[in-house]
Amino acid sequence: MSKKGKGSAVAVNAAGENKRPLLVSLHYYRGFYVMFLPVLIFAVVFHYLPMVGIRYAFCTYKGIKAPEFIGLGNFEKMISMPGFWSAFGNTLVISIVKLLLNTFMAVILSILLNELRNLKFKKFAQTVVYLPHFMSWVVTASVFTLILSPTNAGLVNSILIKLGILDEGVYFLGSQDWWRPMYYVINVWKDTGWGTIIFMATLSGISPELYEAASMDGAGRWNCMRYITLPALANTIITVLILNLAKIMNLFESVFVLQNDAVVKQADVLQTYIYTQTFNSGALPDYGYTTAVGLASSIVGCILVLVCNKASYKVRGRGIV
Amino acid sequence: MKVKKMLAAGMAATMVASLGLTGCSGSSNDSADTNTQANSETAAQGGDSAETEADASAESDVEKPEKIKIMVDGTVFTQANARDKFEARWEELTGIDLEIIQPDHDAYYDVVGQTFASGPENWPDAMILSSSYYTGYAEEGALWDMTAAWENSDLKASGRVTGEDVIENMKIDGQLYGFPVTRGNGCITYVKKAWLDNCGLEAPTNYEEYLAMLEAFTTGDPDGNGVNGDTYGVSAAGIIAAEAPYTNYLPEFYQDAYSSFIKGDDGVWYDGFTQDNFKDALGRLREAYAAGYIDKESLTNGTNDCRNKFYEDKFGVFTYWAGTWNTNLKTNLEAQGLDGELVALPPIAELGAYTERNSPVWCITATCENPEGVFKYLIESMLDGGDMQTLWTYGVEDVHWSTKAETVCDNTYEEGQFHFEESLERPGTQYTKAHIDPMLSIVTWENDPGSAAIPEESKNSQQIFNDNCVQAQLVPSTEEMATYNGDLTTLKNSIIADVVVQGISIDEAYARFESEGGAQWSQMIVDSLNAQ
Repeated sequence: MSKKGKGSAVAVNAAGENKRPLLVSLHYYRGFYVMFLPVLIFAVVFHYLPMVGIRYAFCTYKGIKAPEFIGLGNFEKMISMPGFWSAFGNTLVISIVKLLLNTFMAVILSILLNELRNLKFKKFAQTVVYLPHFMSWVVTASVFTLILSPTNAGLVNSILIKLGILDEGVYFLGSQDWWRPMYYVINVWKDTGWGTIIFMATLSGISPELYEAASMDGAGRWNCMRYITLPALANTIITVLILNLAKIMNLFESVFVLQNDAVVKQADVLQTYIYTQTFNSGALPDYGYTTAVGLASSIVGCILVLVCNKASYKVRGRGIV
Repeated sequence: MKVKKMLAAGMAATMVASLGLTGCSGSSNDSADTNTQANSETAAQGGDSAETEADASAESDVEKPEKIKIMVDGTVFTQANARDKFEARWEELTGIDLEIIQPDHDAYYDVVGQTFASGPENWPDAMILSSSYYTGYAEEGALWDMTAAWENSDLKASGRVTGEDVIENMKIDGQLYGFPVTRGNGCITYVKKAWLDNCGLEAPTNYEEYLAMLEAFTTGDPDGNGVNGDTYGVSAAGIIAAEAPYTNYLPEFYQDAYSSFIKGDDGVWYDGFTQDNFKDALGRLREAYAAGYIDKESLTNGTNDCRNKFYEDKFGVFTYWAGTWNTNLKTNLEAQGLDGELVALPPIAELGAYTERNSPVWCITATCENPEGVFKYLIESMLDGGDMQTLWTYGVEDVHWSTKAETVCDNTYEEGQFHFEESLERPGTQYTKAHIDPMLSIVTWENDPGSAAIPEESKNSQQIFNDNCVQAQLVPSTEEMATYNGDLTTLKNSIIADVVVQGISIDEAYARFESEGGAQWSQMIVDSLNAQ
């Protein structure tokens, strides 16, 4: 009896202690909560409510008749389709290589920009390297299709032929060997400049005194970069890598506008696979199956976020989520 | 901490499970019930011949709807092109309130899908659907069976319909769920007359001559700029097109081969990709591509790229839409200072006939309250041979077309001369048609006010096409088709590109088709089609 009575008294106490401060604090910070309300509504309406659609992953659904529950049928089909595995592998490989390359190039470019002494030229160079980021992928694809054309109109092939490196033009975007390298090059061109912003910010935070001290000790530019700049950037590089790793399953537009029938085995990623399944079947799409593929992609993305979080704890002593 | 994590995991699992269970319990879905009811009505309307006769007798008693709600794509005048005037004129002619839902043309089928999924209460009375969506929605029971309405219509009884074959071709299992108000049209091969003359060639009539022409255009100096070999024969937006009829951009190479499902004369479905004639076609394409006769960039070309290259005089043979596009190509070539005369080729002997795509159709949804009324006052009236046909073919007088004496876009017209007005959306250009292309009409129209305004070359190419085409078959939608055809099409297109562009052997290509599951999926789809 006494135990029961003690337990309920604790619960009442605990409830009482928790409730009162919450209400008080809600009232005290009511202005902030009112300001937060639009964000909360936006998040619920546009991020959480659409999640209700996840249920279709367990059904067949063509948009007319009611969804028919089939359990894990869509997932069974998914793992039996070679197209899915090909797209899954491509997504991981293309995204990770792209991420590493873009980050590496952004670091190099940042260091080079940081070495510029003429402030006006530095600003100009920064603006020029940022610009490609603002071009749409459709325009970018059109421009590079022209530059990489296998005909006389193609700038790259013309130069290579004139230099005697090639006898005839290479169809870079239609070649199974060349498509991925070209895709990486185009991505580096488009996104490296933008990627430098965060590194430039870190570099500007390095105390000039460190460089002065190093030069007094006889360090040249190379040693300054090696022993001051790069160590200072290391934490930022890891943070950028970790944060971007969580987004690698979202690859779509850049691949979609550059891929073609000849390179589908090398280029098809999960999002383009979903698109093909939805729009190219010649019949009403089964939204259930495409939702299942999308859900699988999200789960992998989610796992990556958790892995990144763990990695972040190890490296930085704090998580990202 | 562990307790918290377990609680969080438990809550997440509960949420997913509850979402799955609530979403997939079919019994609780209102739309399913409504659809079942709609399907029952549809079946009753389509299946009972006695009732069909009753409908026939009631044809004259069709109730006039008070309001019709339609969903249309960009082939109907858009808001920027005075759709309100079009709507007002339509309402004036019928006395019916018309509500037009017109999503962005490029996103039309996304919106159609969302509208169907949002529940029958949101469905419009009628809508435009392309052939692949038409069969799918018809088989899902979302469309009203208009067979009886058509069979007993005044339009059919009038004897003015010249395209009954086009209408028949849109039937699914003998029932009509969508009405094509025009022919589907298709692609015809155009050759630059000046290039033929420069090479001393006549228009080809068989594959041998066609290939000789391509060789002359690739290795010779057809554009007369004094340089041999700086041009090529033919270009296309893809070695195989993304939509049916898939072989229509390079028909002289594909000839009688087809990459997708077709029904033979014996009524049995088969996959054209697995036939020997398709392997032969791949061989022809590979040889021509390797020889440089086909644009090296065909794989990455869009139709716009092809048109631009054609205007830049880079190649001489272009298979593109018959009719109005003949004039568009000619005008654009002339704008570049080139000779715009094009020879529209009758199909070469080995090809036999061009393929006409399935026309988009006007459908009435299964939940429409007065489908007979909508058929009569909306669809049938589009081809009335009078004011309504004029409205759907040319638009509103003095807004989209006129017969007044005036100068439009530097063209001067006399009083009484039919001409199109300047486009509201694209100033500096004139309208060329409204929803119905007059050259693709499926009815005779004696008082067509604009027939004299159609350029001769457009008429000519359309006539050659119409006289030498077969209609693409309407492929029914099956479960297996929905499940496997996306992967199958991707695999087939990849194999075609492998053979033509990468140059792999045909045996190797078909071994890949087997090993990657293509043959199995193909057979499953064929079986499902034949089981219908």
